[in-house]
Amino acid sequence: MSKMNEPALGEELAASPYLLDEAAAEAYQRGIQEPRRLWRKNIHSDRDAAARAGFSAPIAAGEQTIAVAMQLIVDRFGERFFRGGSFDVALIKPVFFGDTIIAHARAARAGNDHLELDVWVDNQDGVRVLAGTARVRR
Amino acid sequence: MSTEPIAKDDRIEMRAENLRTGMRLGPIFYIVEPEQIKAFASALRTSNPLYEGESAVAPPTMRLLDYALLIAHHFKGGKGGVHAKHRCELLEPMRAGQAIRVDGTVIATERRRGKFYFTLEYETRDATDDRLLMRQAITAVLLSPEGALE
Repeated sequence: MSKMNEPALGEELAASPYLLDEAAAEAYQRGIQEPRRLWRKNIHSDRDAAARAGFSAPIAAGEQTIAVAMQLIVDRFGERFFRGGSFDVALIKPVFFGDTIIAHARAARAGNDHLELDVWVDNQDGVRVLAGTARVRR
Repeated sequence: MSTEPIAKDDRIEMRAENLRTGMRLGPIFYIVEPEQIKAFASALRTSNPLYEGESAVAPPTMRLLDYALLIAHHFKGGKGGVHAKHRCELLEPMRAGQAIRVDGTVIATERRRGKFYFTLEYETRDATDDRLLMRQAITAVLLSPEGALE
């Protein structure tokens, strides 16, 4: 991508809403191939296991939310992100099956050789479930 | 005739007292499969052309779960954990057909507000020439043997 397409500081990017239902989780499971952790009872597959960990229902894998967020950066910056890029996020609230998540990024800071973006993911109620930063080489 | 089991499981139990800073996990090896790239891109509902063709690039999060393979290589049992933080540095893309080696190191363990956190850093390299492709770190809260957030 040329610098002409560089987002201006303050410009916000948003991904399409992503319904993270059981079909999406199964598709993700096929995509990661292993480990086949959904085959056994755990916080992602079993209501009792989720309750023991303090969740009201089974929760989606945090990795899937991270994948949706990082894809927003890949779709905007392409292979440039793969060479010298970085991503640093915290998963701050659980995502439940049936939630719709939307990934966002905002061009926040520009260095000599990189652009830093604030990254976040909200659910359908506007609750922030992930927050952090991404860097892309300029 | 030997009564020894065919394969002895030397892995240790996955629990807080067995996780120590400096522990090295792995290596694990695999080939980047084009079918996996296709399936993963489909799960993300992206039609990014980078993920298509003979020299398709692997989505950067496609092998994020290699940390779980490293853990399963070294530990058994346990109730898993809750992913709290993740960081990654990308140096070069993984491509279809590439042979990969992944090594991990436990770089931090901490008990905070009654919960046990650990951070596992793992490096993804081209298995043929040792070129570093990606460095990642996951911080997770370990679930207790009873399945609770400790």
